[in-house]
Amino acid sequence: MAEPTDERGSTGTTAGGPGRVLVAVYGIFTLAAGARAAVQLATRFSEAPVAYLLSAFAAVVYGVATVALARGRWRLALAACSVELAGVLAVGTLSLLDRAAFPDETVWSVYGQGYLFIPLVLPVIGLLWLRRSRPGARA
Amino acid sequence: MTPVLVVAVTVVAALLALAGLASTLARRRIGLLHLWAAAVLEALLVIQAVLAVAALVGGERPPDIPTFLGYLGGILLLPVAGVLWARSEPTRWAGTVLAVAAGAVGVMIWRLLQLWEATGG
Repeated sequence: MAEPTDERGSTGTTAGGPGRVLVAVYGIFTLAAGARAAVQLATRFSEAPVAYLLSAFAAVVYGVATVALARGRWRLALAACSVELAGVLAVGTLSLLDRAAFPDETVWSVYGQGYLFIPLVLPVIGLLWLRRSRPGARA
Repeated sequence: MTPVLVVAVTVVAALLALAGLASTLARRRIGLLHLWAAAVLEALLVIQAVLAVAALVGGERPPDIPTFLGYLGGILLLPVAGVLWARSEPTRWAGTVLAVAAGAVGVMIWRLLQLWEATGG
């Protein structure tokens, strides 16, 4: 059994195989959420400051998750995915309860309806993947 | 923004997505076919972007220009980023990475057309 075990070392564990697909999806959402938030904040911030700041916050969370997964920062990825799940549930619920506060679509509005509910499913898949790719002995 | 080009982009993106998923299902790495499909997709997107910018310069104005430009620039990055990210993946999952990028292009191109054709107010 001379199989090298370095492949599953401290970095890159979360970014290989299926994890690479996850990073790709997170990357796209970072781009989508970031661009959307940038436009909202730059052109009509005063219309709904809270909603647009949440939009920007979502973009940051996606960015952190993308980088953490890509570089194998397991704990940071866990934190980002957890915050993301909490965020999409909170904003999704708020956007249904108080439509006036969310006049414009954000990534997390109505649990990510505008994005085929991927924002709702993504953190769950992320957390499941993190459980599988957990660095065992090194943790 | 010509609908013909949008349809062409959609078709190539769909082919790339299918080829990517097929290689994952077949437990194979990506091959030349994938790279060519991605290259054709990127070429179509560049043509599309040049035409759109020319139309903007020519005086046509979609109602939400910042968002339109965001999509126009963002969509150009996807095939390139997808290929770069997939090429360094030695397993069968590289195909799915490309499929994800192609799927996003397929969605974004229609959103782009929508933004272009939307009438103000």
